[in-house]
Amino acid sequence: MALEDYAGDMNMCCRCSACKFIPLQMVSGFTHANVCPSISRYNFHFFSGGGRLNLGAVGLEKGFNYTPWYLSSIYNCQLCGACDVSCKYGMDMEVLLPLQALRIQAVKDGQAHPELQKVVERMTATGSMVPPEGAKRGDWAKSLGLKDAGKQKVDVLYHVGCLTSYDKGMQKLAQATAQLLGAAGVDFGILGDAETCCGARAYEMGHEKEFLAQAKKSMELIKQSGAKTLVTSCATCYQAYAVLYDRFGLKGDLEVLHTSQLLADLIEQGKLQPKNDLGLSVTYHDPCHLGRLGEPWIHWEGTKIPGDRFIFDPPKTYRRGTGGVYEPPRDVLRSLPGVTLTEMDRIKEYAWCSGSCGGVTDSNPEFAQWTATERIEEALCTGAEALVSTEPWSEKLLADTIAANGGALKVYDLVELVAQATEEGGR
Amino acid sequence: MALDKDIHSAFADVVGEENICDDPTMMASYFKTDFACVVMPKDTAQVQTIVRLCNKYELQFRPICTGWTGVFIPGTVMIDLRRMDKIIEIDEKNMCAVCEPYVTSAQLQAELFKRGLNTNIKGSGAQGSALLRGHGPMDQSCGADDRNHLAVEWVTPEGELVQIGSIGSSDEWFCGDGPGPSLRCLVQSTVPPSCTPGVFTKIATKLYHWPGPERYHLKGNSPNYSLIEMPDNMMLRYYSFDSVEKMIEAEIKLGESEVCYIVYGINAAMVSANVTSSNEEQMALFQQISGQVKGNGFVVIIAGNSQADFAYKKKVLEAIMAETGGESLKAVERPEIGEILMRQCTRPTGAIRETMRPGGTFKSIPNMGQRDLTVRWAIGAGEAKLPLIEKGLIVDDGGGFFGWGVEHGHLGKTEIFCAFSPMDSEANKAVGEWATEQGARAVEEKYFALTMSPLETIDERTGPAVSNYHLWWYKVLDALDPNGVIPLKGVSKLTP
Amino acid sequence: MIAKEKLAEIVGGTNVGDDAATLAAYSKDESFVNELRPACVVKPHSADEVKQLVTLASETLTPLVPVSSGPPHFRGDTIPSTGGAVVVDLSGMNKIVFVDRPRRVAMVEPGVTFGEIIPAAEKEGIRLNMPLLPRSTKSVLGSLMDREPVMMPKYQWDISDPIACLEVVFGTGEDFRTGQAAGPGSIEEQWAVGGVQKAPYGPHVATWHRLVQGAKGTMGISTWVSMRCELLPKLEEPFVIGSAQLPPLMEMASWLIRLRMVNECFILSGSDLAAIFSEDRSADYQRLQAALPAWVLFYVVAGYDYFPEERVDSSLSDITELAKRLAVQPARAVAGLSAREILKAVQGPCPDPYWKLRGKGAFEDVLFLAPNDKIEGLVEIMSGLAGQAGYPVSEMGVYVQPMVQGCGSHCEFTLTYDPESASQAAQVKDLAAAATKALMNSGAFFSRPYGDNTRLIMNRDAASLTILRKLKKIFDPSGIMNPGKLCL
Repeated sequence: MALEDYAGDMNMCCRCSACKFIPLQMVSGFTHANVCPSISRYNFHFFSGGGRLNLGAVGLEKGFNYTPWYLSSIYNCQLCGACDVSCKYGMDMEVLLPLQALRIQAVKDGQAHPELQKVVERMTATGSMVPPEGAKRGDWAKSLGLKDAGKQKVDVLYHVGCLTSYDKGMQKLAQATAQLLGAAGVDFGILGDAETCCGARAYEMGHEKEFLAQAKKSMELIKQSGAKTLVTSCATCYQAYAVLYDRFGLKGDLEVLHTSQLLADLIEQGKLQPKNDLGLSVTYHDPCHLGRLGEPWIHWEGTKIPGDRFIFDPPKTYRRGTGGVYEPPRDVLRSLPGVTLTEMDRIKEYAWCSGSCGGVTDSNPEFAQWTATERIEEALCTGAEALVSTEPWSEKLLADTIAANGGALKVYDLVELVAQATEEGGR
Repeated sequence: MALDKDIHSAFADVVGEENICDDPTMMASYFKTDFACVVMPKDTAQVQTIVRLCNKYELQFRPICTGWTGVFIPGTVMIDLRRMDKIIEIDEKNMCAVCEPYVTSAQLQAELFKRGLNTNIKGSGAQGSALLRGHGPMDQSCGADDRNHLAVEWVTPEGELVQIGSIGSSDEWFCGDGPGPSLRCLVQSTVPPSCTPGVFTKIATKLYHWPGPERYHLKGNSPNYSLIEMPDNMMLRYYSFDSVEKMIEAEIKLGESEVCYIVYGINAAMVSANVTSSNEEQMALFQQISGQVKGNGFVVIIAGNSQADFAYKKKVLEAIMAETGGESLKAVERPEIGEILMRQCTRPTGAIRETMRPGGTFKSIPNMGQRDLTVRWAIGAGEAKLPLIEKGLIVDDGGGFFGWGVEHGHLGKTEIFCAFSPMDSEANKAVGEWATEQGARAVEEKYFALTMSPLETIDERTGPAVSNYHLWWYKVLDALDPNGVIPLKGVSKLTP
Repeated sequence: MIAKEKLAEIVGGTNVGDDAATLAAYSKDESFVNELRPACVVKPHSADEVKQLVTLASETLTPLVPVSSGPPHFRGDTIPSTGGAVVVDLSGMNKIVFVDRPRRVAMVEPGVTFGEIIPAAEKEGIRLNMPLLPRSTKSVLGSLMDREPVMMPKYQWDISDPIACLEVVFGTGEDFRTGQAAGPGSIEEQWAVGGVQKAPYGPHVATWHRLVQGAKGTMGISTWVSMRCELLPKLEEPFVIGSAQLPPLMEMASWLIRLRMVNECFILSGSDLAAIFSEDRSADYQRLQAALPAWVLFYVVAGYDYFPEERVDSSLSDITELAKRLAVQPARAVAGLSAREILKAVQGPCPDPYWKLRGKGAFEDVLFLAPNDKIEGLVEIMSGLAGQAGYPVSEMGVYVQPMVQGCGSHCEFTLTYDPESASQAAQVKDLAAAATKALMNSGAFFSRPYGDNTRLIMNRDAASLTILRKLKKIFDPSGIMNPGKLCL
């Protein structure tokens, strides 16, 4: 949908400020009541979901004026969707979609963020969000003897993702995932060097055209592999294939699973048996892309029914963050011997973003780290020794931030702990 | 409009460049209003300095917290108090808490719950400032309006710091009055531009005992949270009555018996909005329950400090309902609905669903005053809504109004609103006319005069009918604001 | 200066007094405030007469000193602070305008005393939230306007309670009604549609009665007040708890009030309680004071229309648990003085002579507000100062009245002395002055300044005083309303 299609939503904003806070019924104290990193950092109302909606509404009416403050407002936003969830507790209106549309409009109007522009150009050129720096995308799988989905048909395709593939510190996730899937008897393959970026981060950066082009490339490869199911341990990729691609009619019948969902099933079925006592206190960070943004897309087209109410024909069902993937990672953690899970104050659909979404790690690393620091502080409040997540982009930012600040909190991906807990992984 | 370079610089010297914005493009985000700039002070001293600069440069200013509603004048300096968000103290021994303006009611309440205490949250919602004057579902037992304010820290329109009450002579916040007459006579915030001149930078607010849990333990995901367990010392019901008179009779008896934690007189449309998470769900539920209610009614929450206390209160409630013919709405007795209302009444978050979600906007006529009197007016105002409903201009709520007894029925609040689409110019016009007519009728028939409207709507007819208060208020403003930095839209000052 | 004839034109010749005896009676009171003779005394009998008086005074720059209560006066605020003043004695305006049971409100003119309103309200089944044992001549309006503490903190939601609305004539001669009474319409027109002048806020954004309450007539003269009333209980069970220490009683009172379990609730020193229940400082007083514990908490559990016994029973069972937790022992009597006797006494005005005068013939109060957790410390400071001054500490009365549903307490030290003894008078005067300073420096909030300590108290909050002076210029531009009081 184009920005104009959200005029009604943008004009619905009643300036209540709910978008700045977690759903108010969940506020349990003075701290950790904020949910929007953008306004929490920068304070002006135009750094909130509602403030941006107002800008959009006026911009549609009077034209967009891309001043430095305006660009700061639209790019210093992780597009994490927390404002959308909080608003929709009370309202029937879209928040995140118009915010995304505002950014896309800016890019269309020649106002791409220069750093994001570079990242997107690199993606187009190399098929990666992360600079390859001479490495090959499939290097992590060397000597693992995994099925090459580029050369033979597979039912299950393990999509690794750019960061996990190229980042030396994150490659262990891919290796652990592959080992666990193999141990559980899942017949899967990988695209290896041929794998290409899902494109989702480009979409968030406002580059819809480039995203669509990339998405088509990616889907073509997946189709050629014959895969009926795509499994990924990257939440961003999960959201891309499960939601974004569905939204743009690219997904087809592909089943998309995040590794946390698959691992939960495998553990329940007894195909994976965590046995080793990890003796670890953890807290879990819900990545935006697996959580509230991972809620399945709802295809809907309709028109507003003229009259007094903001209702549609056919009735519109809103995505309110209810249907994200929240329980499977928790189920997995609860199944690991010796692991005690203590929840943070802001979790599930109202989790505080790690800071890694929306291109902010590239457009404003300081803001990304600030956001991560807030999350780390919140994790420390639980007393947990480790912060676990299911999103490599979050984990990297969180770990780098902890290291930069000299902290002791450990950061794990879920698959690492599962690998440690299963016989095959050991400790 | 962008500020003059020197003026911008002067403000930036105080708060830092990152805390001032005078980019005209960005002003629209605030209230679609062309402010001169937005400036964000971090503490009282900075507020004073900003206000003094406004005086020096003859700029009008207006402070804001979370800012759900108000009247905003182009060209003014918006003082956004977002950075002043600390709870200064919670004093359990003296039943008061001191907060800065951007502490939300939800945050304060959450901290208080841990201590077995509570604050009265305004009906506009728990995202609002903890310092707001106003009314909410807990008025019955937790006071209301300006009567929950104690000591106040106030920056006057000239930038002077006045600490009203005990804080002016000591380090204590427990009392807002004296020495001598109370300056709390001025300390009111309401719909601007006629809000109290100046900026409140801290307020002590009265606290109340909270018999409920130290936190609500919820399950589910937004927007469908549910209590894991209803507190065993609390009960919620919705009672409806054959007539408004019977409802008021019941309300008064409940007030006098002092058994209710909450008496919250929302109508069936508001109940159905409150507990549903979409307009369609609300319409369906409203259809269902409007066939089940006898007429107007209210939510009641009973809370016992002990089993014996709880049993007694329930017994009295039953007796009064039997006497007045109050019938319990079965739908609300179902835990899945009752517990939503329990939470929404004690941490109000339903106002948006009631007022904004249906059409996109609403216009309301609120009155805080003598309940039995104002409700008679409200009946007529509700009847006057019916033709607009018939024409499809406003959301069909059955012509409902709402309200409740305050301070165990000593005082009252009555309000009526029309929900409609802001994009519908015909609806806008019709609702405006309805509000004007009903407001005028309130004055003509001697029910009340609108106390919450901007000063500009006070005309020659209303002011003299209400002790010429507007003339006194102008004099007060003139005395406190010699340089005219408080915006008063469309109103001429008395002195040249 | 207004010519006597002009005053007589307004109030009638018999209501203007300028003879020596009349002027002498209003020149001084029982306090240490300097004697100052008024020019004359007028007694209006209607609000319209008051309006005319104020208008005339404003035109002639004649100071006016409003007085509502009959003598004896104790605070000095009814004595003129400047020469050429006209005392406006409002005691002749003594109508009980209405008592309304359904809306629990009553309206009285300034001259109505507690002795008059209590039976009138009782007839309708309601009562006022009263101060402790006001003297028989005390004006109800005067008490309310002075923000005197009330005995039922549960029913004091705001410190201005039980005031609902006021009619006031400002120093300009214009009248104004506060709260719901402001309009629309006259009072009579409001009554015609069922309005009862109950809601205190407004009109509009201000809460105007707060400007006049506590102002000691420096902003205007009130010609009536409407007040919220409470239901008369069907059943009342009074209790006392004695203790050598104050803190456990303060804690108990806090919880009783927080949980809204009691109506009347206050703490008296044994010396004060003995003084209330003795004729004079004779053996009776000595015996009682010796028998009473240092401190006594008094409270009443009540039941109303619905199942009063069950209400009382459930409250008592909860209070029993509370008392166990706080290690205090509620009782029906203390030192032979029954709680019911106390209840009976405090539910009406004090019979003459006023109880504080009975001991030695005169007294000076040091009264202030304080946070609950500071009261004990302030009592210690006061006791220490009294001891240092040679004042018999055991005779010093202490009254602690929790207020505003638990938001702090009123604390009142009563220093009695023989008015015939110059040395005793001087001792008490000096002690009161020294105590005011010391207590103020330790967190006591003197919200109701009187007499010679006013300057010290008002100037401590100079910023507020500046604003008050601006307001004074608006509401009394000619400076005729009780000039000199409150530094205004």
